[in-house]
Amino acid sequence: MKRFCCSIAVALVIFAGLVALMKVNAFAVPPPITKASAIQVLMIQSDELKLPAEFQISLYENLIRQLEKKGGFQHVYREGDAAAAGASDLVVLHSTVRGFKQGSERARQVTTVAGATSIDVHCQFTDKSGTALLDSDIKGKVRFFGANLKATYDFAKKAAKIANVNFSASPAK
Amino acid sequence: MGLRDRKIALGAALSACAWLAAPCGAQQAAPVTGVVQVIGMSGIKEHANGSLAIDGGNLQFSNSKAKASVAIASLQDIVTGNDSQRALHGTLGTLTMFGPYESGRFLSLFRSKLDTLTIQYVDASGAVHGAIFTMPVGKADALKKQLVALGAHTTIPVVDEKKAPDSKPAAGKEEKP
Repeated sequence: MKRFCCSIAVALVIFAGLVALMKVNAFAVPPPITKASAIQVLMIQSDELKLPAEFQISLYENLIRQLEKKGGFQHVYREGDAAAAGASDLVVLHSTVRGFKQGSERARQVTTVAGATSIDVHCQFTDKSGTALLDSDIKGKVRFFGANLKATYDFAKKAAKIANVNFSASPAK
Repeated sequence: MGLRDRKIALGAALSACAWLAAPCGAQQAAPVTGVVQVIGMSGIKEHANGSLAIDGGNLQFSNSKAKASVAIASLQDIVTGNDSQRALHGTLGTLTMFGPYESGRFLSLFRSKLDTLTIQYVDASGAVHGAIFTMPVGKADALKKQLVALGAHTTIPVVDEKKAPDSKPAAGKEEKP
């Protein structure tokens, strides 16, 4: 009986140790996030679906404006900007539209509950060499007030916040 | 005066007319007024009203407060589309939302159509920019034709809608290939 109790105690100790180890491992895989002083935004891609040109441009321009305002980066470079090549700690933002539902401004204004516009964008932050640093799916939507293009503004605000939290050397409080 | 002389006189008159008319074609097109710059032009506030004109190889947006221009040769893509907005928009439109008996909702049913013009261009350092304009119906296609004629690039060729009225897509005026 004494030997049985002893073996159970040993088994429990081993089990507790394994659980503790698993917990430690679970917390010990933070992504290799780097702080950067500059970010380059590439043009929004929409290979899988047909995105109207005004939405594509609005996503791109709003993203740049929000990163300039709230991103906390010293420099925000556009696609093709020759000056980006000289930046040492540069994060590159690749955005691909995965889903798009064009609602109706009239339906929103008349019914309040119908006609929402939403855009699903997959954002990938990479370093200069193309190594992925962070992947994130961000949704932009307009439900009640505003034009359909306001969904792009909503997306840009969220993307800028993620960039700020994960990569900015001076994160917003 | 013989028949031959008349023909010669008529030919000379026509030549003179063509010579006189040539400078008219080379003149700058009239600016498009009632344009709203939604986003994209540097130095111009979002949703600013103004006019869009072709001025010596540049596409220029201007209003009483600011002016911004883009070289037509740097335009990589021009896309037109259509949209609509509340007939009563702006501050007055917002105030009508607080009207009694849901009158704001009722007024939202009345909408005016407008054209959109989306451009993509590169600046001197090679950086890609984009801009979106809205303008009165029928102005965007004409402006796009002028810009393409002056050397702007487009991924969607200008199609004469009168030739193919049935091919017009529901969402916009153009269909990407």
